[in-house]
Amino acid sequence: MAISGLSRRGFLSRIGAMGVVGVSKSIFPAWMPRLAFNAQQGTPSGDVLVAIFLRGGIDGLSAVVPFGEGANYYDKRPTTAVPEPGSSDRAAIDLDGFFGFHPSLAALKDIYDARALGVVHATGSTDPSRSHFDAMQFMELGTPGMKTTANGWIGRHLQATAERNDSPFRAVGMGSMLPSSLRGGSTPLSLRSIGDFHLKGRENELEAVEKALSALYGTESPSDMLGSQARSVFETVDLLKAINAAGYTPANDAVYPQDDEGFGLGLQQIAQLIKSDVGLEVATLDLGGWDTHESQGTNDGFFAAHLAVIGDALSAFYADMGNQMRNITVVTMSEFGRRVEENGSSGTDHGHGNFMLVMGGGVRGGQVYANWPTLAPSALNDGDLQITTDYRDVLAEVVANRLGNPALDQVFPNFGVTPLGLIAPR
Amino acid sequence: MPISRRDFLKFSGGAVAAISATAAVGSRTLWAQPTAQDSAMVDDVYHLLNRITWGVRADELAHAREIGYQAYLEEQLVPDRIDDSVADALLAENPILTFNRADAGRLQNREWRTQSALIDGMLTRAVHSQRQLFERMSEFWFDHFNIPADELGADLVVYHRDVVRRNVLGNFRDLLFGTARTPAMLYYLDNYLNVAEHPNENWAREVLELHTLGVDGGYTENDVKEIARAFTGWTINDGTDDGFWFDASVHDTDEKVIFGHTFPAGRGIEDGLHVLSLLANHPMTARYVSGKLIRRFVSDMPPESLVESTTQVWIDNNGEIVPVLRHMFNSDEFRASVGQKLRRPLEFFVAALRSTGTQFTDSWRRFETLEDLAQIPYGWQPPNGYPDVAGAWMNTGGLLARWNVAVLLTHGAHSDINEWGVRSALYEQISDPATVGELVDQLAVRVYGDTILSPATRAHFVDFASDSQGEATTITAHLMARKYATLYGLMLSAPIFQWR
Repeated sequence: MAISGLSRRGFLSRIGAMGVVGVSKSIFPAWMPRLAFNAQQGTPSGDVLVAIFLRGGIDGLSAVVPFGEGANYYDKRPTTAVPEPGSSDRAAIDLDGFFGFHPSLAALKDIYDARALGVVHATGSTDPSRSHFDAMQFMELGTPGMKTTANGWIGRHLQATAERNDSPFRAVGMGSMLPSSLRGGSTPLSLRSIGDFHLKGRENELEAVEKALSALYGTESPSDMLGSQARSVFETVDLLKAINAAGYTPANDAVYPQDDEGFGLGLQQIAQLIKSDVGLEVATLDLGGWDTHESQGTNDGFFAAHLAVIGDALSAFYADMGNQMRNITVVTMSEFGRRVEENGSSGTDHGHGNFMLVMGGGVRGGQVYANWPTLAPSALNDGDLQITTDYRDVLAEVVANRLGNPALDQVFPNFGVTPLGLIAPR
Repeated sequence: MPISRRDFLKFSGGAVAAISATAAVGSRTLWAQPTAQDSAMVDDVYHLLNRITWGVRADELAHAREIGYQAYLEEQLVPDRIDDSVADALLAENPILTFNRADAGRLQNREWRTQSALIDGMLTRAVHSQRQLFERMSEFWFDHFNIPADELGADLVVYHRDVVRRNVLGNFRDLLFGTARTPAMLYYLDNYLNVAEHPNENWAREVLELHTLGVDGGYTENDVKEIARAFTGWTINDGTDDGFWFDASVHDTDEKVIFGHTFPAGRGIEDGLHVLSLLANHPMTARYVSGKLIRRFVSDMPPESLVESTTQVWIDNNGEIVPVLRHMFNSDEFRASVGQKLRRPLEFFVAALRSTGTQFTDSWRRFETLEDLAQIPYGWQPPNGYPDVAGAWMNTGGLLARWNVAVLLTHGAHSDINEWGVRSALYEQISDPATVGELVDQLAVRVYGDTILSPATRAHFVDFASDSQGEATTITAHLMARKYATLYGLMLSAPIFQWR
């Protein structure tokens, strides 16, 4: 039926001028008639979680290449396969004799070898939906097949551990809208950028405007919800001002990529927030652009360049955080993988199973965890890689072992967790 | 920076906005009854307009005061008699809204163009239509039977026009029957997949939980299963006029038992129609939807007395919507509810547009602004519609976003429209005030529709505009250049503008 075959290509033509709205991109006034925010939230009882969502359905068979499949992989992908290790200078980077990183992820190989990075393959959300919207909802709500679930999986984790921390920075979604995964987590903060979270307007009037808003909202002693929120805005602005986004220098000569979507900058700002000790427990970050139905450019085009953003940003973050990585877990996911057989446009269509990366001090890395179903035609799910590891098994281990929250039945309701042994307890 | 489909997918996945469902529940205890500090200045007519319009305008307020509370309400309840040529002329520039299903489906780049057309139509009507209550109710029903645009924009154009808007002030039964067979809903809640051999319960569950009885409406899991069976075969076919098709070959013809009624074996489309009829006439539907109306128009915490009396009016009038609204807006509970509703971000945005007259010269900028505010029309993913209570919307980023949107909408007064993507004519809205006090009063009428400021609030504005020199401060060109647009933005940013 026509309706289910709609193309999303049209959105490619939505070219607009996305600029910064603000008049004053500069600095906050020194005048701040409010209480200092108390950032001492006590010792965190778990890792900081950085949850990265790769929107659009990343081609996991090009990112973590099952070169060991031979013809089952290469015959299906005349223009979108990554060559076997050693076969060219843009070949896959061998991980375990069967799987290899795409060369754009070269920067992650050292971290993999240092056993701080693990790969899970043939994983994902088990619901069969190939709709971006449904599949993203299912994955972020943590309840495949149920889109009416009220809260996201991270939101439920935050609820279950609400007594830990009342910082406004406890859960931060990088971007103007919060992802569904954070829904329900008390008052998550959406942050497009640290430097952008401030009051805009004519620079020479800003101080007077702030004074007036403070008076209008009664932020000195708030008497209603709006007053409290206004005060929280000022406190948050204040704190972010103290963090001094512009003056940040990453440690260990780390260099974050400066990509168009601001992924590298987003990860850098997460690093800043962690180092600033403002009570951050969970940060979410997105990288879109993976809906590569045509001209995927696996080896030398769009995909290769876009994938390098992930590799370079994660390795920069790893270097920047240094020893603090012991108390950080980074995990990546995507709503579904892509079809094994490429389409007629040198692209790939919506598929099923995919990969996840898990990086951090507690990861038993240097391995590809896969109950590999093979790409043999008879082993495919409707032409796609099967899912043999539920993505919730991966996340549940993070929640239990690194975030110190044993209430898995709350975070992932109606789901029996199968331990993977991927992540060590703190 | 190029914007592409990837950005769309990015925010589509995140279209829950900065909202937390627990905050919605928690707000009852957390914030109790919110009150606007200036609510003491509000009379009945102002209160009525503040709730049934998208933002009080001085000319409408004057008209309502002239003809009186009752007459104004009655006028709004019969929208066909209200001249709406201004809005109609603006809408004529948006032909996609008149497309049938086939035409809309053939559009190039249809997802973006249809959603953009829908947003444009929604904002144009909310800002310019004289049939304000009709437009408020249009939004209410769309939330009630929510369908996100996503990839469904073409079907949404038809659904919104031919089902929702056609029945906004009609009978609930027609809305229910219409939404049940509209392709957008059949697709969104998967009933097009619902066949005898593999029943799909998604639609059956939501029609009970969200559209009619409510989650506490007394139905059972077995009712859900049986209702799913009753709707097997209700599907989409591009060959019919409205896209609806009953495919008898996949309908479950066995006997069903629903709410204790036996549906005999051997029936076809009658099964589903029978269910809809039972639901439309069900007293729990009357109660559930009445409660939602009250939550939207009266209070986040609907007074039980008003829920009961409104339910009775609904039942007595067989789901006719006009008598229900008439009862609700004439109730003592309504009159006593001043200052109890926080404007949702879209209400804030429209009210600001109604005041400033700002136009976006760049539709992408407008879209981005709605994204900043976290309420893109037709952008709510789950089937329950954008939340209706203050607690769901109040968050740190959300309030700052309102303040900064207020800046955006007012700074066109002295900025390059190409840089800002907006055009406004703020200086045309006041007439030569001599003092700061006069400036504040004139602008208050423009922004709030009336001089309803409490003395304390007014003093804060005067302090700002006069640099604390007092309301007698003489207006100069220099002062206007420095203060006017910012004062305007400040009035939109003030607490009083966040309430309705």
